Amino acid sequence: MDEVLKLKSKLKEINTRARGISDLPVSERAEFGRKINAEREQVLAEIKAVEQVALDTEVSPIDVTAWSGVNEAMPEFYPVTFGSKHPLMTELDRVIDIYQMMGFDVVESRQLDDEFHMFDVLNFPKGHPARDGYDTFRTEEGLIPPAHTSTMQHRVLKEYKKRLDEGGAIAVVVPGRVFRNEDVDATHEHTFYQCEGVYVSKDCTLSQMLGILREFFEKYYEQKLNIKTQPGYFPFTEPSLEFMIEKPKSLGGKKGDFLEMLGCGMIHPNVLKAAGIDPEEYHGFAWGGGIDRLAMLRYGLSDVRLFESGNLNFLREFSL
Amino acid sequence: MKISLNWLKEYVNVPEGITNTELISLIGSRLVEVEGVIDETHKYDGITVVRVEKAEKIPDTHLTLCQVYDGSPELVQVVCGAPNVREGMLAAWIRPGAIVPASVHEAAPFVIGKRKMLSKYDSNGMLAGADELDFGDDHSGIVEIDPSMAKPGDTLADVFELNDLILEIENKSLTHRPDCFGIIGFAREVAGILGIKFDSVSETVSRNSYENFEASEPRDDGSERAWSRELESDFITIDSDVCSRYTAVVLEKHGELGKKYLTLQDTRLAKAGMKPVERIVDATNYLMLLTGQPLHAFDLDKFIKVGNTEKPKIIVRLAKKGEKLVLLDGKEIICNENDVLITSNDVPVALAGAMGGESTMIDENTRNILLESATFSLYNLRKTQMDHGIFSEAITRFTKGQPPYQTMEVALECAEMLKDGFKIAGIADNYPKPEESNVVKNTTTEINNLLGTDYEKDLIIQTLTNVGFQVNVSTGPAAASSPAVAGAPSGVLAKKASPVDILSIESPAWRTDIHIKEDIIEEVGRLLGYDNIEPTLPLHRTAEKNASLELKREIRNCLSMYGANEVLTYSFVSEKLLEKAKQDKKNSYKIVNSISPELQYIRQSIVPSLLEKTFLNEKLPVEKFAIFEMNQVYRKEWGVTKENVPVERNSLGFVVAERKGEGTAFYKAKKYVELIFREMQIVAEYVPIKSKTADTKPFEPKRSAEILVNGEYVGVVGEFKNSVRHEFKLADYLAGFEIDLDLVLEYRSNKKEIKIGAKKTEDLTVATTKSYAETLKEVQEKYPEAEISPLSIYQAEGEEKKNISFRIAF
Repeated sequence: MDEVLKLKSKLKEINTRARGISDLPVSERAEFGRKINAEREQVLAEIKAVEQVALDTEVSPIDVTAWSGVNEAMPEFYPVTFGSKHPLMTELDRVIDIYQMMGFDVVESRQLDDEFHMFDVLNFPKGHPARDGYDTFRTEEGLIPPAHTSTMQHRVLKEYKKRLDEGGAIAVVVPGRVFRNEDVDATHEHTFYQCEGVYVSKDCTLSQMLGILREFFEKYYEQKLNIKTQPGYFPFTEPSLEFMIEKPKSLGGKKGDFLEMLGCGMIHPNVLKAAGIDPEEYHGFAWGGGIDRLAMLRYGLSDVRLFESGNLNFLREFSL
Repeated sequence: MKISLNWLKEYVNVPEGITNTELISLIGSRLVEVEGVIDETHKYDGITVVRVEKAEKIPDTHLTLCQVYDGSPELVQVVCGAPNVREGMLAAWIRPGAIVPASVHEAAPFVIGKRKMLSKYDSNGMLAGADELDFGDDHSGIVEIDPSMAKPGDTLADVFELNDLILEIENKSLTHRPDCFGIIGFAREVAGILGIKFDSVSETVSRNSYENFEASEPRDDGSERAWSRELESDFITIDSDVCSRYTAVVLEKHGELGKKYLTLQDTRLAKAGMKPVERIVDATNYLMLLTGQPLHAFDLDKFIKVGNTEKPKIIVRLAKKGEKLVLLDGKEIICNENDVLITSNDVPVALAGAMGGESTMIDENTRNILLESATFSLYNLRKTQMDHGIFSEAITRFTKGQPPYQTMEVALECAEMLKDGFKIAGIADNYPKPEESNVVKNTTTEINNLLGTDYEKDLIIQTLTNVGFQVNVSTGPAAASSPAVAGAPSGVLAKKASPVDILSIESPAWRTDIHIKEDIIEEVGRLLGYDNIEPTLPLHRTAEKNASLELKREIRNCLSMYGANEVLTYSFVSEKLLEKAKQDKKNSYKIVNSISPELQYIRQSIVPSLLEKTFLNEKLPVEKFAIFEMNQVYRKEWGVTKENVPVERNSLGFVVAERKGEGTAFYKAKKYVELIFREMQIVAEYVPIKSKTADTKPFEPKRSAEILVNGEYVGVVGEFKNSVRHEFKLADYLAGFEIDLDLVLEYRSNKKEIKIGAKKTEDLTVATTKSYAETLKEVQEKYPEAEISPLSIYQAEGEEKKNISFRIAF
């Protein structure tokens, strides 16, 4: 503590000197002020460091191999009524279960990737304006926290190519966390979850893509659904589509009320080629859609920011 | 982008029987995302064309007392404040009770009633100015209507096609379709969707002015021009890497460009969201909306003067770094090396594709216009757009990659539109490498195989030719690449005729996006409607489980069953948070374009984020809780993978906190750790902390343990340093753990030994000064076959020895 006292008296001395500023010519005051403030900051930091060390030396050790403290009862778990799973994770698990039931393997998406996987290998020409649509973050090294789970497409194609050689099909979904550099409001988050799907076989068609997607949503909403599409644009699919479903009854949907669920399309030959798959022999389709939106629809939430809030008043609404 | 349905219909004959709603829905499902539809079918209700029969100035005011004729026998009295009101003119009269169009979208639309002006003159409704009609900002007077277009009593909406629906188009979904950024190109697609052949007559703009102009005729004053009809070849120099074509048309003034009446063009500009301003600018804007080709008008005399030449000398080149240019809006920009500049004899006069320069801008004294119609590299303009923050309608079109085929026609059409004031005095065109025709070969089978359809050859050909493709059919041997295989689903692939008809499909000049077979297949699928494709399901093998996701799911179930709450927090953290958790920021990847300092670093472990959320929840207040998160973490020290991307690890963070908790929090956290390990059939050891990895940094070594499995470090459990707890402003009762899930996955075992039958149990108490682990070891040696579990640790006051009690099950 002596050290703290010493430092505190030093601080006092600095403060006394600081008052002398009024005696200085105006032209010198700014420079003087800067210097004295720097000194003050320095001493304050030193005081903090010393105090922190003191704080941390105060503690008494415990027997970390034991299961309870001395003269303390054995610790208890909290009651089951406290517990909850995160609604986004519950939704993601539900989505994965359905795709697995439909024969899709699951690969998790990365959260830090490079330009090559995020754009180059997905047929985005270098410097093309289409890259701007993704509002990506970048690290000092030029790495990218991915803006879509398609960043895993190339890896999935390469890894599962063996299935094609065995005479089968590549059928994989890729759930994961993605990032967009945009302002946060009730309907926009910079951090959210997507699930990507990739399917490649000798005889696959756009008709099968529509079939799989409809099947998924019918299983997910546990009812028959009307579907609709509209043309879209993604450099890595050709043709590219936006896929919509008629809003399910369980969500209070009316006839003709369509929800945009995901983007999809037939995998561009360049993307297949880059993974060493002959586009003359094989075709594929891929899709990607948000998980946050599914969860919001299911629970009737209007503010996406709740998901990453860590607020237990919200999370305990989902207790068991 | 906004598209007027009425304007669109001028170029497509929509078959009767297709309603607007159906048409819009077809556009949405086969061309582009329609974000919204602005209904203007009633915006101009109650507005009538009237003739001002009498206009008397009201003394000592700026007002005029008017009697107007609206087609009915009685004249109507209106007080008008506009200076240009005069007897005999046709005006737009907003009837009493009608809404002022400019205010229809406001919360409280403005309704004109019957008023008394200056407490004695009745005024019924109003005579409207352009601003009130929502045709721009002009408030200088009331609009005047051309008597050759309308007569008193006509409704304004009928005369100017104002009962309209405006489509709001999502530009992003047309990133690859520059041709659709003009009404003509958009209409061509709509025709294609409807199965109608697009009429090629209406798609080319006028060439008349080019055929007819006579530049050789002398000027009125007999002087000679600095340019002639066929301008010299060095008139335009371009860097063809960044400018594929540059067309220039010189216009010479021969009269005043009058602007008296409200025109259809004004209303169309307004509906597209561009305000009508003056004739020359309006003409260039109008043609851009119509054709997608942006134009720019320079004052030619200023242009020559700036370049200090006798004849105009246009040079298009890349900017030099630091070169300066003052733009039309008065702002000075400092150029980058990727900016494209239009220069007059090397002196910059415009930022190509983005904005003209102040030094050559046209004004009311302009005698000669240099009209530019050109195409520039979308890559360069995209950078220009970002660097200088210019997002005009023109650059939006250029960055889609406008094709060069129509620059001349559009420039000449502009000249035609201005011919009452200007005539063509010169034309030049630099187009060094004309686009080659682009042919893609496809077969009906290939198209149907990818789509899963059964479309006939003739239908495919018709669909493509409707929108300007040319299709030649030749016969070739059966395609070797046909993916038909034995045992494939029938129906789709069955029809394989040999020999095969090969379709050679030539793209029209405006389709720069067509390169490969799949591009053509997209056209066929889209124009004929994806919604007409029957969904089918392929059959394939069963899936395999993802062990890592499965592990997380089990932990999620397990922890939540025992009262813990799963949270998700951001992967990005602040420098401050790293500091508070005593982690080295140099070990974190740093985001250079982060949204805020709060989100600048990629986190090294989960626990610090949880401590932040602990503060929030203690504040709420929540009395006691345990929160956890499973997510990916990154540390620079881990290096990169074979793919040269950072090593990634899955981590589980957990924090338990109570606002008024008693006892040692460490043991509660440890109990949760052991819960997981028991579930995974892993035997873990808890030993004092030796490791100095990032995850251990916030933990207090004297009250924390390393978790070892097979002697390998898998995580840390413990209480936090007092200084850390203070920095996060948290209550005393606080502990947590961080576990590497990838290692847990390696060690987990799925075999579970089940012992059936009742067990005999016995309690044993040992008085000792040793640690629990050491004592346990001694007890185990004594009872090698038994299951031993802890009961309690008791130490009487003043006693050196502790009594450690065990339960032993045989």
